[in-house]
Amino acid sequence: MKLELENLTKKFGNFTAVDHVKITMTNGVYGLLGVNGAGKTTLMRMLCTLLKPTGGTIVCDGKNIFEMDGEYRRLLGYLPQEFGFYPEFTVRDYLFYVASLKGICPAIAKKRVRELIAKVGLSNAANKKMKKLSGGMKRRAGIAQAMLNNPKILILDEPTAGLDPNERIRFRNLISELSEERLVLLSTHIVSDIEYIANEIWLMKGGRLLRTGTADEIINSMPEKVWQCFVEKNMVSDFMRKYKISNMKSEPNGVELRIISNEKPLAQAQSVKASLEDVFLYYFEEKAGDENAAV
Amino acid sequence: MLQFEIKKVFTKFKNKMALLFLLVTLIAVSMLTINRVEYIDENGGRSVGISAARSLRAEKNKWAGYLTKNALQQAAEEHAAIVNSEGALSNDTREQDLAYSRQQGISTIVEIINSAFSEWRDYNYYAIDGISIEDASNIYERRVSNLKKWLDSGEETFSKAQKDFLISQYESLKTPFYYEYTDGWSALLQNISTFILILALFIGFFVSGIFSDEFQLRADSIFFSSRLGRNRAILSKMGAGFSIVTAFYAVFILLHTAIVLLVLGADGANCPIQLDLWRSVYNITFFQAYLLIITGGYVGTLFAAILSMLVSAATRSTATATIVPFIILCAFPFLSRILTLPQICAFFPDQLLEIYISVKEFNLVQFGGKVMNVVTVITPAYLAACLLLLPVLYRIFKKAEVK
Ligand SMILES: Nc1ncnc2c1ncn2[C@@H]1O[C@H](COP(=O)(O)OP(=O)(O)OP(=O)(O)O)[C@@H](O)[C@H]1O
Ligand SMILES: [Mg+2]
Repeated sequence: MKLELENLTKKFGNFTAVDHVKITMTNGVYGLLGVNGAGKTTLMRMLCTLLKPTGGTIVCDGKNIFEMDGEYRRLLGYLPQEFGFYPEFTVRDYLFYVASLKGICPAIAKKRVRELIAKVGLSNAANKKMKKLSGGMKRRAGIAQAMLNNPKILILDEPTAGLDPNERIRFRNLISELSEERLVLLSTHIVSDIEYIANEIWLMKGGRLLRTGTADEIINSMPEKVWQCFVEKNMVSDFMRKYKISNMKSEPNGVELRIISNEKPLAQAQSVKASLEDVFLYYFEEKAGDENAAV
Repeated sequence: MLQFEIKKVFTKFKNKMALLFLLVTLIAVSMLTINRVEYIDENGGRSVGISAARSLRAEKNKWAGYLTKNALQQAAEEHAAIVNSEGALSNDTREQDLAYSRQQGISTIVEIINSAFSEWRDYNYYAIDGISIEDASNIYERRVSNLKKWLDSGEETFSKAQKDFLISQYESLKTPFYYEYTDGWSALLQNISTFILILALFIGFFVSGIFSDEFQLRADSIFFSSRLGRNRAILSKMGAGFSIVTAFYAVFILLHTAIVLLVLGADGANCPIQLDLWRSVYNITFFQAYLLIITGGYVGTLFAAILSMLVSAATRSTATATIVPFIILCAFPFLSRILTLPQICAFFPDQLLEIYISVKEFNLVQFGGKVMNVVTVITPAYLAACLLLLPVLYRIFKKAEVK
């Protein structure tokens, strides 16, 4: 399985949401990391044939996916970022309906639905109406429908958004379990989500891919260093004006700062190993954001 | 897939409520129709319902048979006897009512004689009293000669071809008429248009969300990214719409017909519609008129429903789609009242639900030298329009993007 994106571009009027993206994917987990509005969802919608690109092509094993049409979608499983259900359908009805949309024959659908309900942990809720499910359960139903056709290409748009920490970890494990032998593209703006499960990470900003590579490659791509130091409270705003601050921890007698900078910001500052979070901050924030200052 | 599409429609709360209303309407309209048939008993009391219909039927069927010259004269004699009876001439209104109650068995025959001897545009209740018994037997000749006289009078604007068509239709009507109790069919046909209109609006309401709800529920991403989302799944939505239209139309029309005719009686199906609609150019029976009316109604309902689904798919708004049947079926008749362009208004889709009126009036269309009844043109024309709209609907949904 090979997906090639060639100068993929999507414009909404004058606004370019996805800008000449060029990349190739094979089996494995790809983590798409970007701030709000980076163009992640738009890119994924094109990959799911929901939006027609303004320019460029998406080619699956040598064939244009828009020409393959149903043949391509047969390989596809998609969990959208925001999506609704048929409120009066039970989980089971819903999955059977999606199975029929995917052209799965009833006998196989029956088996798949049973397996997946168990796998995503919805056995007790299978006969509950969709409108009665909690947010986490809805996402489970969402991942179950994406997996119904045992897709070769699985696209997950912010699968862990809005989940509590426990649920998020369980969900992450589920995804990592499901991602064997497939091409998985998952987007998030939460670094820890993909740090562990993605083989390759893409940093996306303003519709473009800034950096791609393994977590280590991305970390090493950062030209600046990370420092840790302890300062008095009244100095914090000074530092914030001068440096990118990747983390800040208040203590009784001062504040511990994590600073991204080429030169040593303070005599007693210690150089530390950069994390993916630091890199994320480095690429996505012009300067330490004001919202972080409030922490 | 189809059964899930239908399930989606009928698990919606609004549609469940609408279904309930539709059932109530069915009962109400059936009751109103049934109450149109009245019987006056020998004490002068008026009644409606099953037993009233039974009694009236018995009275009328005493006269069942072909309305030959002989039969018409007998009826005229009976009428004269009643009119000149002691009771009818008395000053006591109760006595009068009683006398006239004896006329119920021949009331329809009296009406057609009156029609034959009235001026073209006015029905004269007493026309029969001004003619001889022999004259009463000439109604069939009068029907044709009245038409010719009117066409020659210059009061109307028919073309030569249309005049010829009317005359030939009149002349080819089979006489003598077969007569029996027809009040069940008669009441049904007079009122069924209202019921069809209500039914069409409800059906339009049911199907209006089939396409747009996908967007409104935000289920569109998963729908369109599925393998069959841009082909077979659209067909199954269209199939669901068609099944709902057809099944609801058939079941509710059948129920209404059954309720009305079970109470009022189904005799007279094979009597000519002219017993009721003396001037009709349609040489058909009550039952054939019924078939014409419900076929037109079905095509009208289907047309409104398909347009509603089209708007549903194009605007992605269920509310907008819901309004469409109202515009097509309710606003057009209103428009035709202010437009006064009978040539165009005769082709509005609401006419499909008003076929009873078309059967009653001279609604003709002419293509070159060929003249036809409007009904025989608009019913197939709108059916063709439905078929043409289907691929449009399919394409709109197939091309939909999820933004
Ligand atoms: N249908 C649309 N019409 C106009 N602009 C759009 C449309 N969809 C997205 N955009 C714009 O394109 C940009 C990228 O949006 P997109 O949803 O792809 O971002 P994202 O990376 O998924 O963000 P988030 O993390 O908030 O989900 C945004 O600025 C958005 O406003
Ligand atoms: Mg998004």
